Amino acid sequence: MLKVASGMLTPRSGTITVDGVDVTRNGPQQMLRAGMAHVLQGHSVFKEMTVAENVGLGAYTVRDAAAIQERTDFVKTLFPVVAERWNTLAGALSGGQQKQVEFARSLMVSPKVVLLDEPSMGLDPKTTATVFEQVVRMRDAGLAVLLVEQNARRALESADLGCVLDLGKVHIAGAAADLLADPRMAELYLGGAATTSAGTTDGPD
Amino acid sequence: MSGPLLLQSLILGLLLGGLYALLAAGLTLYFGVMRVVMIAHSAFLILAAYLAWFFTTQTGLDPLLSLIITVPLFFAAGYGMQRALLSRLRPATLTMMSVLLTFAIALIIEGGLGYLFSGTQRRIQLGYSSASLELWGARIAVVKLVAFGLAAISLLALYLLLKKTRFGQALRATIQHREAAQLLGIDTDRIAGFGFGLGLATAAVGGTALALDATIYPSLHWHWIGPLMAIIVIGGLGSIPGAAVAAMVLGVTQSLLQIPMGTTWAQTVFYLALFATLMFRPQGFFGGRLAQRF
Repeated sequence: MLKVASGMLTPRSGTITVDGVDVTRNGPQQMLRAGMAHVLQGHSVFKEMTVAENVGLGAYTVRDAAAIQERTDFVKTLFPVVAERWNTLAGALSGGQQKQVEFARSLMVSPKVVLLDEPSMGLDPKTTATVFEQVVRMRDAGLAVLLVEQNARRALESADLGCVLDLGKVHIAGAAADLLADPRMAELYLGGAATTSAGTTDGPD
Repeated sequence: MSGPLLLQSLILGLLLGGLYALLAAGLTLYFGVMRVVMIAHSAFLILAAYLAWFFTTQTGLDPLLSLIITVPLFFAAGYGMQRALLSRLRPATLTMMSVLLTFAIALIIEGGLGYLFSGTQRRIQLGYSSASLELWGARIAVVKLVAFGLAAISLLALYLLLKKTRFGQALRATIQHREAAQLLGIDTDRIAGFGFGLGLATAAVGGTALALDATIYPSLHWHWIGPLMAIIVIGGLGSIPGAAVAAMVLGVTQSLLQIPMGTTWAQTVFYLALFATLMFRPQGFFGGRLAQRF
């Protein structure tokens, strides 16, 4: 779904709008211009480049040097780790630090919407907590964050609005706080767990 | 074995290694940018050597001047080849199919050269062809120094281009994580085309350097592709510094082994080193992460 929103894939149906402008079927570069920044699932830093180079490439489409400088200062304050490890090779950082470099890189274009695809994937609980703190900080800095996350409780705790998709259909949607309190949510967790284990027992033993 | 002879071999090895390094850098660039195994790289090398020879015999000017024509021409040819041919291969089988495709291109170039210039061995005669310098008893031909200088300058220029320019940053980003690069607004298809063009440009420079002091014939490229492929695997696929270091080390080893073993057997050092690398350190000695992913 996020790949459709960032223009990597084209949708078969439906529309995507940013600030009321229809951007459906745009390519990645046009989506970026429309204000969509996408942070991929898993690790996507340029490992053999420094943090500085990674963040600098975030501003690849920005030509105004003053704007780049201003943005650099902004992401450095938002993500202190990025400033601390500025001249380190990104591949040498821990998973959580790499995630923050990716966040910083995506914010260089001053996006309207940041698309985060499972930022907690492959991270231990403690690092996940740090990463989610950063997600909340991005939200508090006035960015619209579209977060896709399996860790539903944690995601809802950091979100304003929540939406549960089941097999591509909207199952439950509403304010995040309401969703957390919704008895159907608890049921869905259980239901979801039951189907997965049923699926695994189907295989030959 | 005499001291001057050893020194001479060492210097000649280093000079040869410089040329290997430049050519291997091009080869590793193709692989890095788009996982293409470019068998035709050395065929383009010989093509450039022929163009340098043809240029000199027709105009009487120094073969180095042919670079003004061949470098942009090869860059454009590389860009066109990537966009028109290689980008049409299915991603799932790209690496295997690129071997077939570029093998065919190598045969076409070889056939074309044989058709146009016949299979006769050719050599450029220059005013300074036989000039040499003497250093503690070792005799070094001036043309070899010129060839090395050309390779070294080009390699340095390539390095600076990749490290310091916006295009270089985008190219490296494309090599390291194509999807992420795309999401930052980098037109990765065009960048890959330019990367391919750069690779062929190294063949243009290398060919001119080669033409300065070697006898050339259409099928000569088969002697080059094996060692070059071995160098990029030993250096760690996709790593330009790795390719450069492996090229220098193997160039010197080859040159030193020529004293006791003769030229034919000294070539085997590339394959022995390749076998040893694949057995003990299959990811190569530098970079390496790319090879692991592959």
